[in-house]
Amino acid sequence: MPQHDIIVIGGGFAGMRAALAAKEAGADVALVSKVHPLRSHSSGAHSGINAALSPEDSWQAHAEDTVYAGDYLGNQDAVQVLCQEGIGDVIKLEHMGVIFSRNGQGKIDLMPFAGSIRPRTCYVGDSAGHIILQVLYEQMLKLEVPVYDEWFVTSLIVEDGVCRGAIAQELSSGRLLSLDAKAVVLATGGLGRMYEPSTSAYTSTADGQALAYRAGIPLVDMEMVQYHPTTLMGKGVVVTEAARGEGAYLVNKDGDRFMESYAPETLEMAARDVCSRAIETEVAQGRGVNGGVLLDFRHLDTDRLEDRLPETTYVVNKLSGIDIKKEPVPVRPAMHRPIGGVQVDVQGATPLPGLYAAGECACVGVHGANRLGGNSLLECVVFGRRAGEAAAAYAGSIPLRKASESMMLDQERLAQDLTARNSGGDTIGSLRRELAATMHQKVGVSRDGAGLREAADKVGDLMERYGRVGIPSVGGPYNPSLSTLLELGYMLDVAQAIVASAQVREESRGAHHRTDFPQRDDDNWLKHTVASRTPDGPALAYRPVVITHRQPQRRTY
Amino acid sequence: MEVTFKVHRYDPATNGKGQLQSYMLGIDEDASILDALMRIREDQDTTLAFRGSCRTGFCGDCTMRIGGKNRIACSTTVGKSVKDGEVTVEPIRIINVLKDMVFDAEAMVYQKYRAVEPWIEPSTPLPQEEHLVSNEVIQDLRKVMSCTMCWLCDEGCTTMVVDRKFVGPAALTKAYRVVADPRDSKTEERLHSLSEEKGMWDCCHCYEATEHCPKGIDPTERIFALRNQAIKVGAGSTKVRNHYRSFGASVKAHGWLDEARLAIDTEGLTNIRGQLKQLPLALKALRRGKLPKPYFLHKKRPGAANIKRIFKLWEKK
Repeated sequence: MPQHDIIVIGGGFAGMRAALAAKEAGADVALVSKVHPLRSHSSGAHSGINAALSPEDSWQAHAEDTVYAGDYLGNQDAVQVLCQEGIGDVIKLEHMGVIFSRNGQGKIDLMPFAGSIRPRTCYVGDSAGHIILQVLYEQMLKLEVPVYDEWFVTSLIVEDGVCRGAIAQELSSGRLLSLDAKAVVLATGGLGRMYEPSTSAYTSTADGQALAYRAGIPLVDMEMVQYHPTTLMGKGVVVTEAARGEGAYLVNKDGDRFMESYAPETLEMAARDVCSRAIETEVAQGRGVNGGVLLDFRHLDTDRLEDRLPETTYVVNKLSGIDIKKEPVPVRPAMHRPIGGVQVDVQGATPLPGLYAAGECACVGVHGANRLGGNSLLECVVFGRRAGEAAAAYAGSIPLRKASESMMLDQERLAQDLTARNSGGDTIGSLRRELAATMHQKVGVSRDGAGLREAADKVGDLMERYGRVGIPSVGGPYNPSLSTLLELGYMLDVAQAIVASAQVREESRGAHHRTDFPQRDDDNWLKHTVASRTPDGPALAYRPVVITHRQPQRRTY
Repeated sequence: MEVTFKVHRYDPATNGKGQLQSYMLGIDEDASILDALMRIREDQDTTLAFRGSCRTGFCGDCTMRIGGKNRIACSTTVGKSVKDGEVTVEPIRIINVLKDMVFDAEAMVYQKYRAVEPWIEPSTPLPQEEHLVSNEVIQDLRKVMSCTMCWLCDEGCTTMVVDRKFVGPAALTKAYRVVADPRDSKTEERLHSLSEEKGMWDCCHCYEATEHCPKGIDPTERIFALRNQAIKVGAGSTKVRNHYRSFGASVKAHGWLDEARLAIDTEGLTNIRGQLKQLPLALKALRRGKLPKPYFLHKKRPGAANIKRIFKLWEKK
């Protein structure tokens, strides 16, 4: 049975950054991931990472943009940490070996991004995520951090009110094993597989959110689900925001640049929620093209496209056969990223001693109700590092205790029970597709009370049917049966929290747009939703927003 | 469209040999092969093992053989792969299969990747801010780092077929990434260790790696770039360097390869024992009428002067 001071679950940016920080702090840390770290979905983050590096910029201006874009739901203390410490963290990435694109002086070049008043996004062509992921993994090798890759975590070990590791299935052998640790950092990323269309990987299945939720940790602001306005029609692949940053137009079927009527000042550079709603409105009013709109690059300089958007050009061509220099690209909004997540403080600590979380699966509250492009990678490196440091400090203060035998036996019995079920016609796939369709239609870009009630009923129904779906076997080498089934269970639990949180928030703010409550309501709703798991479903409570010195203002673009 | 997927099944626990199992699926022709496999797993057979993650061609995890050709499953559509209503899906060939489409990536991929120590070691103390680097250098590194480690180049490598211990074009491309990074302070050491056995000099420059790379990274040229640098710092065995130099000198002087001279130069003129060792081979070649003319009889090819001019231009550059 592996034993370490700390285990980090998840091998993307936040996970690797946490592991590296813990290692540098002297802890015995290991990383566990259901795919090899180099295959993590952080590689799909095309855009870049924000940092106020230019002399004309300041972390305060960055914080201002972040809070404003987040429609004042962001915790301003956390936003300050993000923007202030992020500068050093981005430089640290460069020192590790990240090859940021440079300006004429050889310094890191900055790109304008939607929702930011100044160019502030460090980029690498249009493949920042893929490059940073490689470099973080290079550092994992350099610092010799052990990696248990292709291990699927089935539950956290919580005893005596303390988190003491996790139980996981080693996919290569099929065995269930305990990973004993003094502290655990969750960094499992997103949950996009419960939405269709979605920009997520096949592996983004709400694992960390569900593991924490089941261990009694609340999920915060789960109603805030961000859609990316421009994803390739039918494929759900992001056509990066850098495309609009470079000057691509959004046009409807009549060839009009419709953003003029939704965000007359910023046009295509308005924040993501604004663009997504504008596109959905165009489609709803009959000005769409096959359920989407067009993103037009044809007026842009082709050499510059080659330099700035090579991967976009490649992927769009590879997946849909379109040459962006010659044809406009059909795009539509697709679910992109949960903004809410596991409740953590600015150190990444959850309310459960020994459990930390960072990155997309966590909610430290920096994004408020709508996330700025380029802030997600930053969140991963800043709060990933902080979680790693905090976990190392905590682990240094307590002894390691092994998980009890009974816990392992329970897990094995539970897993074996799954082979005795009779699914009665439902498959994992049929349930997941029903879930994904419901989430998109009822809990997508726009919601209303009636639709959310339907979604709640639907998720309840799916959960009941899920309880009857079985698998033929649990163990054996590379048998994905157990993980595939558990992933759906994770998503159903978390979907229930998303729907319940969306039901209670009777206002429109950022990514949460209620057609029956179209206005922002600061008097009643300037607060976070906090969903906890109970036998009767999610129980909702509220937490105040941390406001240091930026008072809410009306948000327009 | 209705498609029969004939999918390779192999379970080390129950049967010794892999076989194709058929699954019928109604699926969009625009859907990817990875989508199809996921549908089969979720709806028909949860035990079906394959790797795959991002579904957009970035993570490099879903390399397999589709219709007999090595492909990245998420970037290959059903419509383009189907033949007479069927698509075969198998694992890549030159490595141990662990189950179904899952192969031993540790041996094939990650060990070799680690072997080239692919992290930069910048000089200390580190600058206060970022290192200053020209964007031209960055663009070159970016191209190299667009590698998704799909390992199609290693799969196509002709050296790997006969020697699986060869570090291979993928890892060497990664090595190029650190060697070419101006921030790295260990370039020379790297070139020496990459010149050890099973390293860069084992490449037989067949250009298959370049042919196979889906991202146009040109691994073969990256290996040449490493070799050129290695020669400059005196890395590699004397024989290898002699061979490399003689090849170039011969083409420059005569416009084509002087094989006799290449053989003699490679061993080194004063290396009597080395020259003697070549005698049996030379005699064998002589018996079959394949001995090249002694090098003082080697003639220039027509137009050799033009070839020399190309060399001179290149040297000036």
